[in-house]
Amino acid sequence: MSVLDQVKFYFFHHHHYAAVPADEASYPATWVVPPGHLFDPVKGHALYQRHMRSMRLADELPFDGICINEHHNTVYSMTPAVSLMAAAIATATKNAKIMVAGVPVNLTTPNRLAEEYAMLDVMSGGRMEFAFPLGTGMEYWSNAGSVNPTTGRARFRESLDVILKAWTEEGPIRYDGDFYTYRYLNPWPKPFQKPHPKCFIVGSGSRETVELAVDYGLGYSLVFIPIPAQLKAFERMRELAEERGRTVTPDDLIIVVIAYVADTDEEAVREARPHIERFFSWFHRVPPKFLLPPGYVSRDEFLRRASDPALAHGTEASWEDMVAIGRIACGSPDTVADTVAHWCEEARCARVNVVLEHGDMPEWKTVKNMNLFANEVIPRVRAKAAAAAAEPALAPVGVE
Amino acid sequence: MAAFDREALTVNGVEVTVQTAGAGEPLVFFHGAGTVTGFDALLPLAERFRLIVPYHPGYGPSADDPSVDSIHDYVLHYLDLFDQLGLDEVTLAGHSMGGLLASWFAIEQTPRVKRLVLAAPLGLRVPEHPTTDIFTVPDEELLGYLTPDLSVFEGHVPMPPTPEFLAERYRESTSTARMFWGRVYDLKLPRWLHRLTMPALLLWGDQDRLIPPGQAAVWAELLPNAEVRMLPGVGHLPFDETPAAAEAVVRFAAEGLPV
Repeated sequence: MSVLDQVKFYFFHHHHYAAVPADEASYPATWVVPPGHLFDPVKGHALYQRHMRSMRLADELPFDGICINEHHNTVYSMTPAVSLMAAAIATATKNAKIMVAGVPVNLTTPNRLAEEYAMLDVMSGGRMEFAFPLGTGMEYWSNAGSVNPTTGRARFRESLDVILKAWTEEGPIRYDGDFYTYRYLNPWPKPFQKPHPKCFIVGSGSRETVELAVDYGLGYSLVFIPIPAQLKAFERMRELAEERGRTVTPDDLIIVVIAYVADTDEEAVREARPHIERFFSWFHRVPPKFLLPPGYVSRDEFLRRASDPALAHGTEASWEDMVAIGRIACGSPDTVADTVAHWCEEARCARVNVVLEHGDMPEWKTVKNMNLFANEVIPRVRAKAAAAAAEPALAPVGVE
Repeated sequence: MAAFDREALTVNGVEVTVQTAGAGEPLVFFHGAGTVTGFDALLPLAERFRLIVPYHPGYGPSADDPSVDSIHDYVLHYLDLFDQLGLDEVTLAGHSMGGLLASWFAIEQTPRVKRLVLAAPLGLRVPEHPTTDIFTVPDEELLGYLTPDLSVFEGHVPMPPTPEFLAERYRESTSTARMFWGRVYDLKLPRWLHRLTMPALLLWGDQDRLIPPGQAAVWAELLPNAEVRMLPGVGHLPFDETPAAAEAVVRFAAEGLPV
């Protein structure tokens, strides 16, 4: 059976602070240390209103859900407290699932996050999903002092353990951990969905995060890394799950797609390319030091990255490089549907978080892109499943 | 001049490398958060002492031990190592982070430390002369923060730095971050410095951009029996930058003379 039968599309929105200054070339970093004067609260207010219009539109269009995330000290994100945004979206929408992807658990305490997320689930009537990130290296600089990157991974694992126990075991319970101890772990309210909302680990495919997902029976959501590395990560996850007697379904795996749809391929590239380039060149402007605070990765992983020129100078990639290595689909509805369907089948994954607003894109392009993707691409992808099912079977049933 | 002998020792499960040179009364030197320039600049001390320079766990050729993640764990590690080496009473010297470590070792083991040498020690919060948060110094400026005399890195720092070299620095930085990511000072330290009643020498470069020389007077006030030797034109690496640093230690520790 094709994964295309089940594929779900989530409108993934970054809430950029999209006002790019005219002298943008003079700023060495847009993460951790962007000069504070670049933030204009009047523009910020207008952007929050615009973003909420997009959320309402996504709810009305045939998207399955909305996905939002959290970053700190950066023009990349206006949602450093993403649960607040999720609460606003929960009241502004009726149908869409809302995936919070998510609070870097290490920046808060796990009992508080269990409370926050359960609140959202009850408020939204069970429309929440959560993806848990370790947090980029940059988040550790932005909160320097309070969260030590050298213990980040161990703390992340323990936090997940606390949250899942808090949601699934009858409280109050006692918890005696390495980082957190609770005399009375008993968050209130409890999640609407039982045993708990669907959860994912957000990762770049490292063995560590893949293992974490398998150990806790969670899904896995990949960040922007080259496609072969994505496929390898999913394969590793399926293998590891099998070793441990678990099953990974296509609904457990998320790919992130950058898409722009127009009437023709040429028009799509012409309208989208400057904004997608800006997305990488401005919104991802991160000095290597901030990517890897001490202890965020092992010495060997650091060496692997320092030895790979593509990784060492990642933010200077060309358009051609980006399109070649990543999941960027710009084109007519047929082109984008073919590409996305191929990616889902190849990765055996049935979840697509699709980014449709890129960098400093004006609102009319966002609206056009959302409409075309929802009304022209999604039905085409689903029709492929129906077409595949209607074809006569090439092999006798029951033989693989 | 003598050279170091290197020995690998297993101390409570962690393999560490200890360098020794010379003979006589033991002088133990605790290095700082970096090991790039090596320790040959200390060899003049070996003419008067049995000089012992251990690499801390997580630095240089010594193995990592992520469970050693506080300055007090390092003090306890050195109690183990001193037992293993049969060291009882020593002259203890420490540079930068090693100065903080030497201070805590001496606070807790006062009778074992005959004399104390602190070279640009880390540890105090002095608002008028704040310690530079080394984690925030841009990579390309780091060497200039360490010393005004970049020639001390010749033969030690490949240009451009190789991935292997950078990975080793990242590893040492990780070991340092285990202790000091939260803050680059130790709030408890001034509460206990009164215990350092042994003769103490404070060595400081007057061009130190990392731990400003203005902190020397605060240390001198808190230590009951300390003298200060300010080294003109010198940055944060006094032993690498001038022979006067080792000479001052010899005068102070071997001859008991004012420096």
